[in-house]
Amino acid sequence: METIPHPIPAWLIFTVIALVFWGVTGVTQKLSTNRISSALSFLWFAYAMVAISIVLALTVSIHWQTKPMTFLIAAAGGTLNGLGALTSFVALESGGKASVVISLISLFPLVTVAFAVIVLQERLTLTQTFGVVLAILAAILLSMEPKPATEMHVP
Amino acid sequence: MPIEQEQPSAKRLAGLPAWLAYSLLTILVWGAWGALSKVASANVDTNTNQIFFTVGLLPLIVAVLLKSKTLRAGQNRRAGIGWAFLTGILGGTGNLAFFQSLVIGGKAAIVIPATGLFPLVTVLLAAVFLHERLGNLQKVGVVLALAAIYLLSA
Repeated sequence: METIPHPIPAWLIFTVIALVFWGVTGVTQKLSTNRISSALSFLWFAYAMVAISIVLALTVSIHWQTKPMTFLIAAAGGTLNGLGALTSFVALESGGKASVVISLISLFPLVTVAFAVIVLQERLTLTQTFGVVLAILAAILLSMEPKPATEMHVP
Repeated sequence: MPIEQEQPSAKRLAGLPAWLAYSLLTILVWGAWGALSKVASANVDTNTNQIFFTVGLLPLIVAVLLKSKTLRAGQNRRAGIGWAFLTGILGGTGNLAFFQSLVIGGKAAIVIPATGLFPLVTVLLAAVFLHERLGNLQKVGVVLALAAIYLLSA
């Protein structure tokens, strides 16, 4: 039987799905904050997350019996993610130029990569390392709108 | 990169201009979120992770409800709220894919920089649907982003 030389790994497919969905939120968030405050926009964003969780809790099998530490870590992820959205809004509202603030914030994967490599002992190939550098550079360049922007959204 | 001149009366935080301090704080908390997501994904499935993630948002919902003074501001509020809610639905769906990627073996050191390229989709959609102009640097960013995804998948 003929095999595919380089099948796309499943994790990459889900990564691209996340990238596409989060990318669309960049547009919908803009459409929202053009009409209402970033705080109210965040609130309804969070209400939607609650709605999704309620639907999940009612329709799929949820493993409630997890270790308390696992729950705390996962919940802290939600708090940190939301907190980042709020601090990015404050950075923009504190006089930071949007192109500078958003470019700077695009560096956040560096913190994750450092943690993953040092603490989680993840190893990257040279090609992947180059890809990480290129990805961060690309994210910075993509944030440089030709005209000033005033929105930030949750990754 | 042009840097806006700081206003003499600009607020400062921890000895830094407030906007810079909050930007650095954002880098730190989002970076930590990425790392924690990977740690959690080793012990919990995607759907449960999303529910726990949402539990973590609850204190922020309360804080915004109590502290924000701009909740009643804005024009065309119904549309704005609708778009915000849709943002949450799409963002939550993206979260599920993100968690699933980590659960089935995606490395945080790759998945986070790769998903951090989501502005690639945003700028392309904004150009098509919102008729926003794509700057030259953004065009370079689009090319680099595609190259980065290819390299990360190697």
